[in-house]
Amino acid sequence: MAASYPVEIQGTTATFTLSGRLDAVSAPGLADELKKLIGKQLQKVVFNSSNLDYLSSAGLRAIVFAKQKLGAEPEVIILKPKTDVLDVIKMAGFDSFLTIQE
Amino acid sequence: VEKLILPAIMENLDPMLDFVEKSAHAAGFEKAFLNKIRLVCEEALVNIINYAYPNSKGEVKIQCGVDTDRATFVIQITDSGLAFNPFERPDPDITLSVQDREIGGLGIFMIRQIMDQFSYKRDNDHNVMLLEKKLP
Repeated sequence: MAASYPVEIQGTTATFTLSGRLDAVSAPGLADELKKLIGKQLQKVVFNSSNLDYLSSAGLRAIVFAKQKLGAEPEVIILKPKTDVLDVIKMAGFDSFLTIQE
Repeated sequence: VEKLILPAIMENLDPMLDFVEKSAHAAGFEKAFLNKIRLVCEEALVNIINYAYPNSKGEVKIQCGVDTDRATFVIQITDSGLAFNPFERPDPDITLSVQDREIGGLGIFMIRQIMDQFSYKRDNDHNVMLLEKKLP
């Protein structure tokens, strides 16, 4: 039941639109999409999170994959996170290497 | 005390978490906290789903209720899989750089951050995890 996430690539920026819950059930779908971007030398990966209600460690694992495994360590931007999602990112200490953008 | 018993498979994660969230809501927690309760239980249950029954099928039992004497919401999660104490693991170092960060252990770390009490015991070939949060 891995969800599919729309991704848009413009130049060296990939933008994912997240929604609902990014959890152990849905995160594998995002991880699969991210794996397709390996070697594309992206400089930015944006996760539009304005419709994301919930994030767990499985979701964080998928997001950090973008930072660790895509090569060239792109800037990873969490765009417009809701409070609950931002809380989890901060609790995990991930705000130190993810860019939070309102 | 409400009880739910389901096979420990990923397809059942959502119904398990919906059950806990509903119980927490009935116990009086605000919406803002329900996601945190859900997060805690996801981290606990995913461990069981992924690791408790490597060579067999098994079930997980979830019990939720309010201990009125202590004004505390109590979640008990029981499985009969491999003995595993998730709280024995040291917390991850959340100050490490992104390339050095280990993601394993993060879920348990978040349980510790969110809940007031947590414990594990091996009881009659069962893993029993207790998670407690003071009522608002």
